[in-house]
Amino acid sequence: MTTALEILLKLAAWLLLAPLLPGIINKVKAWVAGRRGPPVLQLYYDLAKLWHKGVVLSTAVSPAHVIGPAMAWVAIAGAALLLPVGQTGASFAFRGDALLFVYLLAFARFCIALAALDTGSAFEGMGVAREVSYAVLAEAAIITALLTLCVQSGTVSLATMLAPSAGAGAALLAAGLFGVLLAENCRVPFDDPNTHLELTMVHEVMVLDHSGPPLAAILHGASLKLLLFAVLLTEAVLPLGKLSLLPAIGVLVGSAMVVAIAVGLVESLLARLAFRRVPLLLTTSFLLCLFALLVAWKGGTP
Amino acid sequence: MTPGWLLLLAGAGLAAGIFSAFKSPRLWLVTTLIGAGAAFAAAVLMLASGVTWDWRPGFVIGGEALHLQLDGLSAFFLVLLSVLGGAGTLYSSEYWSDKAHPDSAPAGRAWWNALLLNMGCVLLCANGLHFLIVWEIFTVCAYFLITRERQRPATRAAGWLYLASSHVAMIFLFAFFALLAARTGSWELGPMRGHPELAPLFWLALIGFGLKAGIFPMHIWLPSAHANAPSHVSAILSGMAIKMGIYGLVRFTGWLPVPPSAGWVVAALGVTSAVLGVAFALGQHDLKRLLAYHSVENIGIILIGLGFAMIAVSHGNAAWGQLALAGGLLHVWNHGLFKALLFLGAGSVLHATGTREMSRLGGLWRAMPWTASLFALGATAIAGLPPLNGFVSEWLVYLGLFDAVSGRGHAAIAAIVAAMALGVTGALALACFVKVCGVVFLGLPRHEIAPHVHECGWRMRLPMLVIGVACVVIGLAPILFWPALATAAAAWQPELANSIPPAPLVTLGAFHLALAALVILAAAFLWRRVRRNGLSRAGTWDCGYAAPTARMQYTAGSFAGIITGWFDWILRPQRHEQPPGGNFPARAGFEEHTPETVLEKIIEPAGSLVLRLSLAVRHLQHGRVQSYIFYLLLGLAALAILAVMGGAK
Amino acid sequence: MNLLIGLAMGLNLVALASSRLPSVIRAAAFQGMILGTLPWLLEEDFHWMVVAVGLGTVMVKGFIIPNLLRRALRAANIDREVEPLLGFVPSLLLGAMATVGAAALPNELPLLHGHAQTLLVPGAFATVVCGFILLIARTKAISQVCGYLILENGIYLFGLLLINTTPLLVEAGILLDLTVAIFVIGIIVDRIQREFDTLDTRKLNTLRE
Repeated sequence: MTTALEILLKLAAWLLLAPLLPGIINKVKAWVAGRRGPPVLQLYYDLAKLWHKGVVLSTAVSPAHVIGPAMAWVAIAGAALLLPVGQTGASFAFRGDALLFVYLLAFARFCIALAALDTGSAFEGMGVAREVSYAVLAEAAIITALLTLCVQSGTVSLATMLAPSAGAGAALLAAGLFGVLLAENCRVPFDDPNTHLELTMVHEVMVLDHSGPPLAAILHGASLKLLLFAVLLTEAVLPLGKLSLLPAIGVLVGSAMVVAIAVGLVESLLARLAFRRVPLLLTTSFLLCLFALLVAWKGGTP
Repeated sequence: MTPGWLLLLAGAGLAAGIFSAFKSPRLWLVTTLIGAGAAFAAAVLMLASGVTWDWRPGFVIGGEALHLQLDGLSAFFLVLLSVLGGAGTLYSSEYWSDKAHPDSAPAGRAWWNALLLNMGCVLLCANGLHFLIVWEIFTVCAYFLITRERQRPATRAAGWLYLASSHVAMIFLFAFFALLAARTGSWELGPMRGHPELAPLFWLALIGFGLKAGIFPMHIWLPSAHANAPSHVSAILSGMAIKMGIYGLVRFTGWLPVPPSAGWVVAALGVTSAVLGVAFALGQHDLKRLLAYHSVENIGIILIGLGFAMIAVSHGNAAWGQLALAGGLLHVWNHGLFKALLFLGAGSVLHATGTREMSRLGGLWRAMPWTASLFALGATAIAGLPPLNGFVSEWLVYLGLFDAVSGRGHAAIAAIVAAMALGVTGALALACFVKVCGVVFLGLPRHEIAPHVHECGWRMRLPMLVIGVACVVIGLAPILFWPALATAAAAWQPELANSIPPAPLVTLGAFHLALAALVILAAAFLWRRVRRNGLSRAGTWDCGYAAPTARMQYTAGSFAGIITGWFDWILRPQRHEQPPGGNFPARAGFEEHTPETVLEKIIEPAGSLVLRLSLAVRHLQHGRVQSYIFYLLLGLAALAILAVMGGAK
Repeated sequence: MNLLIGLAMGLNLVALASSRLPSVIRAAAFQGMILGTLPWLLEEDFHWMVVAVGLGTVMVKGFIIPNLLRRALRAANIDREVEPLLGFVPSLLLGAMATVGAAALPNELPLLHGHAQTLLVPGAFATVVCGFILLIARTKAISQVCGYLILENGIYLFGLLLINTTPLLVEAGILLDLTVAIFVIGIIVDRIQREFDTLDTRKLNTLRE
């Protein structure tokens, strides 16, 4: 009974905290640009508003257009349950859960992509094509990062993989994972969440025809994914496994803030890349993870 | 009933089906289904009890005593054969009915039963000579099934290519079995690990069985044969016939000693097949050709598992080998199931619309909701996504690889490469199946397809449903299938067998179960919420463009364009462009075709070279007796020189 | 010190991945400067010759040669795009493979114990191979010069292995060679530019007889 309660509590914390991150990022961007910017809690207001709104569906769509976002949201929330927090570990932990984590995010991508293709719009087709193509490189990078952690810790379970610090290659790993974070969450320089030109969007164009509660599910899922990546990045680099729950949460919250600020700064200071340069940058992320793996390999041999 | 009687019943049912195929389709259906059911029961009985059924009746066929054996490995493959055979039988009774194909349907039924019967016999034979005989019959049966529509030139070409490459494979198998018999002194097959001198024979088996399995670059026959065969035949070809190649590899790497580098080669071939198979699949516009290339990819995944299991065996039976082997074997089942499901779904599309060209399709979910949802289920499974079966087997392979990495043994570097390749393959397969589902079933019809597009009848729907349920069950309760895996693994290499399932498999199953339940709940909840908030309909957002047409939708080629651009170096797509020109462009066109690179760039030039050389040699023969006598003299002189040189030593 | 060599190895990849000539030049220059400081760290006892060589290397590789190249760039009005024969991603992946391979190499070679511990040998191999890739896969004369520079940096790293025995002679010789080469190339570039209006090496093969 207590474990069920604990799982629910953890899940609630993940779900409630997630929409904060985009708010912080927007605040940072506004601050750099010298504006006041939207309130930090803006996404909460948006989600609440969307949840009560009616829905306009395209005449072309099938039920998948509504079901897809729901499935994707569940998958991302499931992935959140796999991430450990400090010494208390994850809600579910077993050997090989790291791979389940990666594939749950892939499943979410699959659902959102199909829901987008459902409208038959050429814009959505374009966005999905870009999303799934870039995900190939991002996936290579993230598997490499997992291999690095596996070499480092000698296990395949997130709880033990993430507990120690990433050792000598920590900086490389952090840089690589940060690149993946930016790409997977569609931030500058891979994609611009604020653009208003359909031809240049990746993620935003996939949700053009969504409205009301399904859009709320997508937006919330996206913010949760951002939080997941921020936490994964932190735990991969810092030795959080030794801390007990409260300090761990403190460090996590602090570092999530740092990641959000970094994302905000990157967005303010960099321009979006031309699409033909995106694979190059993602390859760089992959190589950073690969060199982290190399360092871990070299470092570990007695 | 004992397995023996059940197998007899199965054989009798299938044989009776051959004879009733021409007279009474109904009787054929019943007897064939009984046969498949009996085979299924026998195989399950064996896997559950773990007792090998061994039968030496004392008959002599072709100078050799008959010896049939149903051990864990054969039973494992027999389960898949009987499920797919039964499903395909029911499916074909509507799909390839007498009414639609009066000329080819009756003979097709007979060949179908002959195919099933002989594949079963291949699994049971424990005598090299008999193995070769039934293998050849099974190959020929498949040829006649592929060329059911022989009035189409493409089908004839595909059949010819299949037959040619199968017989190249056959030559290698002849050599393999003959050398084996010569070295051991008998055609009897069985465990012979104690004869290290037999190890080099592995390479012959690898080519012979690899050609059948469609390992890259030996897959040249596979895409065209799968695309042009009737869909239930494509399903059994992809689901089972290429697995016979895998069966051969697994069987003989288990029974015979292998060279030390064998595991590495198999794993490397697996990695190549997996990545390049899916890359080629992305370049295809033909629905069934695309699925065929995915068979190459999945064979690659199976081989990664098998290869690392072999490496583990050669390094003292490391524990991770067991996981890799279990993953590879489970992927045999899984790929058989979801690929059959996808081919049957593609068959329904073909049946309803008359085209395999994806860029002409679109929006089929309205007319065919069952096919669309079952196809989406199969697509989720083949993309290796949780909570379905494809993920379970890929996860086991991954776990094996990661354990090898953390063990930091000899295999660790290779395991790192394989794990990365597997990740890339998974993401590419996801991209490919998003493309297929989106282009074929979602959106709007791109062309005015025949107005009578309809959902298929229950005899086509039920097999798909059964296979779909099997995919879901393996995904949600993988633990139920561990004993079967353990029995099969024990038949391969007793040291690797472990009847205690790895604990995370239970947790994974529970997680999948919860995930599936929550996914359905959340979908229903959101749907109700949407209905409650009020729903209105409008056109798709088109950026203010006033006259959208369905032709504006993204096509299969444009969708995959980014990724096929990365693989240009091997795909070598042929493009014909007619760009719009002038102020008022009248016509513009773009056509892209991805050829079978290995076939057209390597095999065909090599073939024409051989042909040209042979033509040159033909000049030697022009019918004049004098010149033949001259050749004789030359030959004698050469022999004499050889003899003198030999004698000088 | 390993950190610096690692940084230099990273700069190889930066040079391979950049699409603009100035950034390739900058990567090569920065790499030269990093390597120029290495002798100071490597030598235990302070010696004025070492300091001078290091200083000379930093000056020549970090400032003089890049400035010459930039001037050639300006004088010849070359388009700043790199124009690869082989795409950026493949050349980057090749470079990374070379780096990984180079890192695995020392285990196979009979090295002194002290050398096996450092990144000197892998760094040298990786740099040489990346220089070659840059030479092979790019078309413009300027990027070829950068390829030579990186190649020379790799050779210089090898030279550092011998710093205790015959350091200065070798290094000075190479440096001299290179400076002359750069001058020559600079002059030729200028002449060719005036004569043919192009610096694309693909179009310069009409003079091959």
